Amino acid sequence: MSVIVAEQLTRRYGSRRGIERVSLNVPEGVLFGFLGPNGSGKTTTIRVLMGFLRPTTGTARIHGLDCWKESHRIKSEVGYLPGDLRLYPGASGNDLLRIFGTIRGRDLRAAGTDLAEQFILDLSVSVRKMSRGMRQKLGLILALAHRPRLLILDEPTASLDPLMQDILIRHLRELAAAGHTVFFSSHSLSEVERLCDRVAIVREGRLVADETLAGMREKAKRLITIKWQQGVDLSAISVPNFLEIHERDGRTWSGSLHGTAGQLIEWLHAKPVADLVLGRPDLDSLFRRYYEHGATEP
Amino acid sequence: MIRGLLLKSFLESWVTTVLLACALMGIEAILAYALPTFLQQFSPQLLQLEFFRSIIQALLGTDVGDMLSPDALHAIAWAHPVVLTILWAHAIVFFTRLPAGEIDRGTIDVFLGLPVSRWRAYACDLAVFLTSGLVVISLGLLGCFLGGLAVGPENRPRPQHILLVVVNLYCLYLAVGGLSALVSSLSENRGRAVALVFGMLVASFLLNFLAQLWPPAARVAFLSLMNYHQPLLVLREAGSGIWPLADMTVLTLTAAFTWTAGGVCFARRDICTC
Repeated sequence: MSVIVAEQLTRRYGSRRGIERVSLNVPEGVLFGFLGPNGSGKTTTIRVLMGFLRPTTGTARIHGLDCWKESHRIKSEVGYLPGDLRLYPGASGNDLLRIFGTIRGRDLRAAGTDLAEQFILDLSVSVRKMSRGMRQKLGLILALAHRPRLLILDEPTASLDPLMQDILIRHLRELAAAGHTVFFSSHSLSEVERLCDRVAIVREGRLVADETLAGMREKAKRLITIKWQQGVDLSAISVPNFLEIHERDGRTWSGSLHGTAGQLIEWLHAKPVADLVLGRPDLDSLFRRYYEHGATEP
Repeated sequence: MIRGLLLKSFLESWVTTVLLACALMGIEAILAYALPTFLQQFSPQLLQLEFFRSIIQALLGTDVGDMLSPDALHAIAWAHPVVLTILWAHAIVFFTRLPAGEIDRGTIDVFLGLPVSRWRAYACDLAVFLTSGLVVISLGLLGCFLGGLAVGPENRPRPQHILLVVVNLYCLYLAVGGLSALVSSLSENRGRAVALVFGMLVASFLLNFLAQLWPPAARVAFLSLMNYHQPLLVLREAGSGIWPLADMTVLTLTAAFTWTAGGVCFARRDICTC
């Protein structure tokens, strides 16, 4: 079952571009990474999904409900963390849990306290006295405390230290394992690689990729280093088309593998190889190429 | 949910409400005591001065004659610019919180991330506004009676008459609130919204003031909200049991129209904090 369905979603700000014909389908229980460089349209997409912006054309639905017309009904099952988080300066974490709990119609204090212990946050401190990282933790606690079926997080790890990032990632994995859906935006490639089941990439307002991380890994090149044995005539070795050699440093060749490991092994079979290093799929380069080349397949 | 929205609205506004209510009580008490004590005895001489007479006429919307009667003094106490400014300030500060203040501060993202409809949030704000307005004006009324205790019985405000003035003033307060809500719903910057509403009210006050002194302004005086708050006329007619129903209707309809228009704008507008 799909939790988020966006069809041909377009949002323009006058003559300025927002997003253009973005279609998304986020299944239940997945960790969905929404990637893109700054200004690519990630936040605009999220704001349309949250019912803050009315789409110029196209539709967006969450749990089958229209994101603009039935926004308030959707949000009882949604936890949201904005990208540029601002909280009420005079309130403490406890105050906000009490007020948000009253609005949501459930007591969030126990769950909030439990999360605050995990994130190491003192809920009695007023927002005014909190550092940026502390406010981000409080925002996450407020988004997570009611254990929503869908979490929409706009760059959630911003301002968090690596330890807290690990705690958050662990928590999100647990939620996904329990059937909750997590939709989060990021421009951090490593974060997405660590966390996501599925990735969509947006660039200049358009969706340029949407597939599983496993599928991305298959597409990604692997860095490879081949060291030939002494005395081999290297000029006699012809390079197959699934291999691209970038550098030849004496007997050591470095390049990238476009094909499968099986093809490589078959080609190297009976060749005078002294050593071989085959790297992990280079998602970083793949993402960068999506960012740079846009809608065309990298 | 509604309880939560009311709680949020109350927590955000109670300090302002208490401060302004106390200020209004203090001002009304001072005016109720000071006007009969100091102004009345000099009023025949002062009213000989054309400038003073014009000012009083412009303030009260009608000629006061050769002497300031107790009714005229009570009318001054409820049309005094400081009193009006306190009430305006409360209405403007209250209604520019949502949405202009929330957008300006960036907290609207978190607020509208909650399962609340914009209309419901807006309506809960109105409920708290109506209640806190009653508190502010009631404390003003209390101050008026407390100040009256320090003067002779002939100069004390008559509760049933003053109540008519205060009900009319409450209608004016609602109209200012409605206007603030409309401007706030169209704005993304609270400071600009406050300045705009305050500017409109000052213009309205000046128009009503000028209308008494300059005939061309009188022709468009109906556009001024202050044209519908004339406490001296209300007090003069109160003895005959006549309520200022026409003025109250205009003010209440203005409040209803502007508040509803503000709600429609808020419900339909894009929320953009970036």
